[in-house]
Amino acid sequence: MKLKKYFSILGGLALTLSLVACGPQESGNEDTGSNEEATETKELIVWEDIEKGEGIADAIAKFEEENGVTVTVIEKPYAQQIEDLRLDGPGGTGPDVLTMPGDQIGTAVTEGLIKELNVGDDVKSIYTEAAMQAQTVDGKVYGLPKAVETTTLYYNKDLISEEELPQTLEEWYDYSKEVTDGKQFGFLALFDQIYYAQSVMSGYGGYIFGQNEDGSFNADDIGLNNEGAIEGAQFIQKFYDEKLFPSGIIGEQGINVIESLFTEGKAAAIISGPWNVDPFTKAGVNFGVAKLPALANGENMSAFVNVKSYNVSSYSKNAELAEKFVAFIANEENSKTRYEITKEVPAVAALANDPVVAESEVAKAVAEQSQYSELMPNIPEMNEVWTPADASLQTIATGKAQPEEALNQAVETIKGQIEAKHK
Amino acid sequence: MKHSKIALLLSIIPGLGQFYNKQWVKGLTFLILAVSFFAVFKDLLNMGLWGIVTLGTEVPRDNSIFLLAEGIIALIVIAFGLAFYYINLKDAYKNGNLRDKNMKPSSLKEDYHNLVSQGYPYVISGPSLFILIFAVIFPILFSFALAFTNYDLYHSPPANLADWVGFDTFLEIFTVDIWRSTFFDVLTWTIIWTLVASTLQVALGIFLAIVVNQKDIRFKRFYRTVLVLPWAVPGFVTILIFAGLFNDSFGAINNDILAAFGIDAIPWLTDENWTKVALILMQGWLGFPYVFLVTTGVLQSIPDDLYEAATIDGASIFAKFKNITLPMILLAMAPIIITQYTFNFNNFNIIYLFNGGGPAVPGSNAGGTDILVSWIYKLTMQSSQYSLAAALTILLSIFVIAIALWQFRRTNSFKEGA
Repeated sequence: MKLKKYFSILGGLALTLSLVACGPQESGNEDTGSNEEATETKELIVWEDIEKGEGIADAIAKFEEENGVTVTVIEKPYAQQIEDLRLDGPGGTGPDVLTMPGDQIGTAVTEGLIKELNVGDDVKSIYTEAAMQAQTVDGKVYGLPKAVETTTLYYNKDLISEEELPQTLEEWYDYSKEVTDGKQFGFLALFDQIYYAQSVMSGYGGYIFGQNEDGSFNADDIGLNNEGAIEGAQFIQKFYDEKLFPSGIIGEQGINVIESLFTEGKAAAIISGPWNVDPFTKAGVNFGVAKLPALANGENMSAFVNVKSYNVSSYSKNAELAEKFVAFIANEENSKTRYEITKEVPAVAALANDPVVAESEVAKAVAEQSQYSELMPNIPEMNEVWTPADASLQTIATGKAQPEEALNQAVETIKGQIEAKHK
Repeated sequence: MKHSKIALLLSIIPGLGQFYNKQWVKGLTFLILAVSFFAVFKDLLNMGLWGIVTLGTEVPRDNSIFLLAEGIIALIVIAFGLAFYYINLKDAYKNGNLRDKNMKPSSLKEDYHNLVSQGYPYVISGPSLFILIFAVIFPILFSFALAFTNYDLYHSPPANLADWVGFDTFLEIFTVDIWRSTFFDVLTWTIIWTLVASTLQVALGIFLAIVVNQKDIRFKRFYRTVLVLPWAVPGFVTILIFAGLFNDSFGAINNDILAAFGIDAIPWLTDENWTKVALILMQGWLGFPYVFLVTTGVLQSIPDDLYEAATIDGASIFAKFKNITLPMILLAMAPIIITQYTFNFNNFNIIYLFNGGGPAVPGSNAGGTDILVSWIYKLTMQSSQYSLAAALTILLSIFVIAIALWQFRRTNSFKEGA
């Protein structure tokens, strides 16, 4: 029909017209965002870990007074804050300061979510070296340490006394053999997860990513299937083979099972992190905390040090003030106060010998274990390690694969994923 | 020249054609609407079209993802504009045509009556169509578009920009070894899972409904209540409890139930195949009450005369079931049965909560029981592979749509309505 032809011609004409008109005036909205620093109502929004806000309340009041600003603290689960920043930041509702796990720094920096901090050596030097290393990407500092976490040994004092405590993992193995009967267990750990298994593997010389001279991680050098790692994995496998570790603690629900076994007094000792101090205390377990046992080769078991930190969002409109706030809230005095309230072990070097920290069994164990521990790699490639590494350990635990082939396969998968996603 | 053509040409600027046809009010409305369209949406169209073509040129000023969203909204607005423009042109041409035939174009009053009497359904459904486009079509277009970008960890704002990469992401799924092998493993299990689990729950539901509905059965109400119970407890609670019950060493199923029959403990959570069995059994248990209820409803509506007539003809119980009950049930329930299948295809909860998609399988980057949707979840949450996840989502939607269409076409339930 004729009408249709006219329409299509006219429609096409109109469309091209509109496209030409709308084309390349790209600088249309450019200048609106950046020139707002004149506004004097200074306000900082701080995302703090859940239930940890009271630890910084006093410091915040002081900071508000000294700088004439209002600080709003919002509590959010800390592992999820960086995720929220991705949307809230550009949306304009994001924080100025947030807290996040150290192993996500690399990812956050790659995405440009957090700002580089201009801190002098005087500030950097108050923290332990490892903690500061966790905040450094390509030689630039992106945050200040808030607390360190590392796994330690929890033992049930009703089942085993401090003096009887086996000193090496081999001795724990023997002890477990003695007491394990299918209902009662000796020593338990989530060795089907790399986070825990690395404690053993690393003691024999296994590592995830090799380190360059300046301490940064080299993603091309994966040490998860070297001799040491395999030796460690073989030792781990013995626990499962001999049924010292029940198959019920393997897999997704393992963490719940192991915790309830410990709370019910059915396990003499487990490896877990400081996050469990509170739940175990509330559950009325009579427990003690110690550093992890040594290994047969004389090395101490290692562990991952996870550094929690305060970081400045790159969407912050008051970046300078936010930086000042981070330095203030993480200084020695405020770290100490925060420790007293929240019991999160601070990364301030001088505090390690401070009576408040040294007298606490948990903090002492964490501090002691930290000496033997290694930093969790903070490069984005680390994201590719967890799943394949856990998968291979799981197949080792269930006896479906031998350590060597399983670990080789894991490394192959990790390399493939790094190749596919990070090149 | 004919009036129709002149009116049409004048209408290139909305309203002028109507003026030519001496429809002043209508013409003015068109003109005002056209002017305000450009006045209101000028910035959106400008930024949106530029954004969707370039996805930004400068960091940190441009956020590719926001520009993409803005661009899609701009396209939707343009589509509305074009529709409006078409109406304008058509109206001018039609009325010009009437004048050519020496008939009078309808007056404003007549137009109004026309609109109310004939266009009533459209006037009423218009607003909801508008909402539908922004609430349903827009997100679909957005995730569809993401699949054609390289949006991942290294191309995400504010540090970097994303770019259009065409079909590269789709190609990657089939060319990069690690994706291809995992994809086909996951797809195979997804399909098996969908077919077996859904068929089980539907068959179980129908079977139990027919049994309970037998005339001679007493305490019907009691049975019905009991059989609906699995549905009454929130699914995720049930799944978590089951995860505990199925625990290899401590779960009640191994320790109390199977042990009572002298059966050795089964590695429910650590052996891939047993996990699959456990998942299918659980889904059967979780899913049948709904089918059971609906079937019960359908059974009430089958007239007794049919059975009486069949009895007189000497039909056996089995023949009655095969020729009366089952066809009636299937006819009435086809839409519900289809939703059972499509639901299970994307049944994230049970897979994720039961064993996190595990147990681990050597050499795969998905777990042994990961279905497509839970694998996509892992890709997005653990390694920021947004564009890959979007591409997989599109493939997944294609499967769901295909299954649904295939089943829709095989049933008669929809023919009457359409």
